[in-house]
This record gives sequence, structure tokens and C-alpha cells, in this order.
Amino acid sequence: MSNIMDRIKTAVEDRKRNEIQNLVNEAIVEGIPAETIINEALIAAMDVVGRRFSSGEIFVPEMLVSALTMKMGLDIVKPLLVGSEGASRGTILMGTVKGDLHDIGKNIVIMMLEGAGFNVVDLGVDATVEKVVDKVEEFKPEILGLSALLTTTMPEMQNVIQVLKERGLRDKVKVMVGGAPVDTKFAEKIGADGYGEDAAQAVELARSFVS
Amino acid sequence: MDLKPNFERLKKAVKHVEPDRVPLCEVLIEYPIQSRFLGREVTPDDLQAQVEFWAKAGYDFIPLTVGMMSPGRVTQESAISQVIRDTMLRDSPEADQDDKSWNLEYTSFIHTREDFEKFPWELAGNLDFSKLEQVASVLPEGMQVIAVSGKIFTLTWMLMGFNHFAMSLILDEQLVADVFRQVAEIQLKALEKILDMPHVGALWVVDDLAFGTGPMISVEAFRDHVFPWYREMASRCHERGLFFCMHSDGDLTKLIPDLIDMGLDLLQPIDPTCSDIFDVKRKYGDKLCLVGNVSNELLRAGAPSEVEATVKELIARLAPGGGYCVGSGNSVPDWADFDNYMAMRTAALKYGSYPINL
Repeated sequence: MSNIMDRIKTAVEDRKRNEIQNLVNEAIVEGIPAETIINEALIAAMDVVGRRFSSGEIFVPEMLVSALTMKMGLDIVKPLLVGSEGASRGTILMGTVKGDLHDIGKNIVIMMLEGAGFNVVDLGVDATVEKVVDKVEEFKPEILGLSALLTTTMPEMQNVIQVLKERGLRDKVKVMVGGAPVDTKFAEKIGADGYGEDAAQAVELARSFVS
Repeated sequence: MDLKPNFERLKKAVKHVEPDRVPLCEVLIEYPIQSRFLGREVTPDDLQAQVEFWAKAGYDFIPLTVGMMSPGRVTQESAISQVIRDTMLRDSPEADQDDKSWNLEYTSFIHTREDFEKFPWELAGNLDFSKLEQVASVLPEGMQVIAVSGKIFTLTWMLMGFNHFAMSLILDEQLVADVFRQVAEIQLKALEKILDMPHVGALWVVDDLAFGTGPMISVEAFRDHVFPWYREMASRCHERGLFFCMHSDGDLTKLIPDLIDMGLDLLQPIDPTCSDIFDVKRKYGDKLCLVGNVSNELLRAGAPSEVEATVKELIARLAPGGGYCVGSGNSVPDWADFDNYMAMRTAALKYGSYPINL
């Protein structure tokens, strides 16, 4: 990898917001293709950031500012993408289920998914089964992400999956679930396609769904 | 088994001295559970009934909330939401049409220095101490109040919005520090009034500091912005002979040494979804009184026999020598199975007599 690509990666990892746009411009002048800058520097850096977060080396503030730095770089390079190169990796609907107002985790996952190149539609908190399923029908996303913090609202995830089946949409969307009381066993039990323990795992899972 | 309230019982446990029995301890038991126990409705305004519940159920204290979050957490009814609503209504009568526009549960208000400057801090600091004062006349002998107050971290991030707060910690640290200071000064002013009330025996700060995976912000950021205020609270409590308690969800492993260093006496609930209370006891049990850890999921969906077995094990392994009180893994919500709540309480009374021989 060229020196400038390393410097872009380091800028994202170390949250150098004042440097990122100049560095990306430098890479463009060097003739590095836009897609390479995105995948091998910007997104690759966020993978490192995600791993550092999962291991407890950094915390939410550091991760979010890295994501912000990455987006600033992305803003420079994105207009240079041509044709399908500019398309997102896929659309993801994200929401906290009915009866649950907790959205810290969901919002962090959204920022990381956007950083990984996905187009994310936020359904907010307290999202009813009908609202979620209607939006799946409207946006036709590749992935639906459902979040819950309370054991009492977890069953709403199963209700969403049930109504997706009833309306013939279940096979058209991958469902991933997350939140403090949720685990792999629960995800399997309710018929979800996967569970992410934290934002970094959610990104990995989403990538595996669209690869 | 002595069911009479005796705050000395709790104090002994906190000081790692064996009292007559392992104390029962909760920061919150929702009113439907209290009502079912007493066989009559307990309402937020009925202090007498609340005191009757806590006393008859075997607790040595009643927890009462005073602060910006009053009556207990951020809701449409909480003091801070009402202050924001009144302020917004002054600017625009239409503000009331959508309660999400002023309800701190849904939205946040301090994103810039200008927002900080125009926030109604004085109004927000005008707290209601009436219940804390009134309760003195209905407390039975031996019972004291634990004032639930002093929330700083949660209130600050809620006022700023979590993502905005988190990013501002790096991008505009002074703004975050100033919001922390304003919130902390209000809480410290409240503490001064609380400390003047002889029927208050302890302060209980309910402030979630961690996710299930670890601290919500770095340990260094807690040291810079949050822990100095807790240290001040603990110090003022200790000067007046009160002990200092904390509730936090999440995995606190990385924070506990700092919490002990700043003067924490009691930690609840050692979140069973992500913490091993026996490990915490092994590492810090001689410095902290541990409370709780009976999983709320068990209280919701388990069998009474499972609850009993859990409480028995907790008492057997944690209570010898004092320093442990029986309680839930968070609080007792209205969705807890009543029979399981009763099983937890009954098991604590059945197995909790000192000396522990289980």
C-alpha cells in the first residue's frame, strides 16, 4: 500500500479531521482510483477502529469521531465514483422495536454501517410491527436491523418476523437483531438471520449478508 | 426472623459487619408490586402506603427520589421535562402539541454553546423536596430514607443527546465539561439540603455508566468529567455520617477501582447480564458492599424454586462477614412475576440469618 493510503488510514484511526480531506485529495492527485481509496483506506481504517472498539481499546466517542473523519474523506472521493461504483453496498432499515425508547446502541450501529458504505434508513424508536413491515415493503432493503434493550420488548422482534412471513416479505430481507438482552440463541429461536453483539459485529454481519 | 426496619442492620452490612440477617435492598420497586404485596393500591402520592410497604416487606429504608429526574427517571412527568416544556411554551404556545418536542426521553437540547447559555438552569435547579420532608412524619422507628439523587452522567448525555455528547467529548470538550459542571452544581446544592435532614441515612446515585460490554466512555473521560463530582458527593456524605451508594447497569469492571477510590460504599446491582458477582466479591468484596444480582429475567420468567436457589447461593457465597444485601439485578419492575419477587424476599429471610450456615 502506498504511503498516502497508510496516512489516510492513520488519519481515520486517529481521528485527524483537519487532515483527512487534504490527504484524500493527495491520493486522488496521485491517481489512486476512488474505489481503492474508499475500500482500502477509509473503510479498512474503520475496520481497525471497530476491532479496537470491540476489544475495549477505544470507546464510543473515539469510534464516532473516527466515523465522522471517515465520512469527511468519503465526501471528497464519492463524487469521483462512476456508474455502479457509486452505489451503496445495500440498504438497511434500522429500528428500535415497539415499547422500547432506547436508541444509543442503534444509533452507533447506524453510524458504523454508514461508515461501511451502507445506505441506512432509521425508523427511530418505539417502531410498531406494522410500521416496520410497511417500511420493508416501501424501501425493499437488503437487511432489516431490529434493536431492543428490554427483555419485555424482545418478543416484538419475533412479531415483526411473523408479520414479514404473513405478508410474503420474509425471504426478501435478511433480519439481524441486537441489544443488551439479545443473544445468538434468541436470534435463532425467533428465526432471525443473525445477531451482532456490538457495532463492529453488526457491520461484519451486514457485509456477510450482501457479499 | 425480625422484620422490623432497622437502618443499623443495613449500616452494619455496608461496614462488613454481620448484622442479625442479610438486609433486603432495592433502589426501586414499582407500585403495582407494592400494591399487590399490601393488598391495596399504592400510588406515587401516597407516602404512607409506600412507607408501609417498605417496612412490612422487610426493608430498613425507603428510597425516595429528589432531583431533576424526579419522580425517578426521565419521563414526560420528570421535573427536567416539565422545566423544558414550560420554557418552550413561553416561546411558542404550539410547543405543547407534540410532547416529543420537549420530552427528554425523545429529544435533546444542548448542542451548541448558545444552547448551553440559554438553557433554563436556574429553573432546572429549583427542585421539589416536599416528599423527602413529609416522609419524616410517617417513618416507623428504626427506618430511614435513602435519598436517590446526584445523577450527573446520564442527565448530561440526555441533555446533549448521546451521539452528540460522545462526539463533543472529543470535538468540544469544554462544552461537555460545562454541562457536567452545571448539572453537578445543581445536584450538589440539592445534596446540601438532603444532608440537613436527619431522617436521611444515605445517598444513592442512580447513574448508568456502562454498557454490557464495558464503560460508555473511556475511564480517563470519567476521571476528567464525572468522578470528581462523585468524590465530592461521597466526601460530603461521609462528613455527615451518611454512606454513599451507586446503581449502574453494565459491566463496571474497568471502573470499580476508581469508584472505590472516590469513596463508594455500596454498589448495586452488579448487572447479572454481564458481570460475575462472585468475581467482583473476590476482587473488591472487602472494600465495597455488593447489592442485588438476582436476574430480572429470572424474576420475570423463572420459577419461584429457581429464584430461591439463586438467592440461597448468593447468600451462601457473598454474605458471610457482611458486605452483601439481597436484591434484584436492576430494580423490581411491574413486569416482574409477583410470585418470583415474593420468592426472592422469602428466600432472603429464610436463608439470611447470621451466622450463615448453608
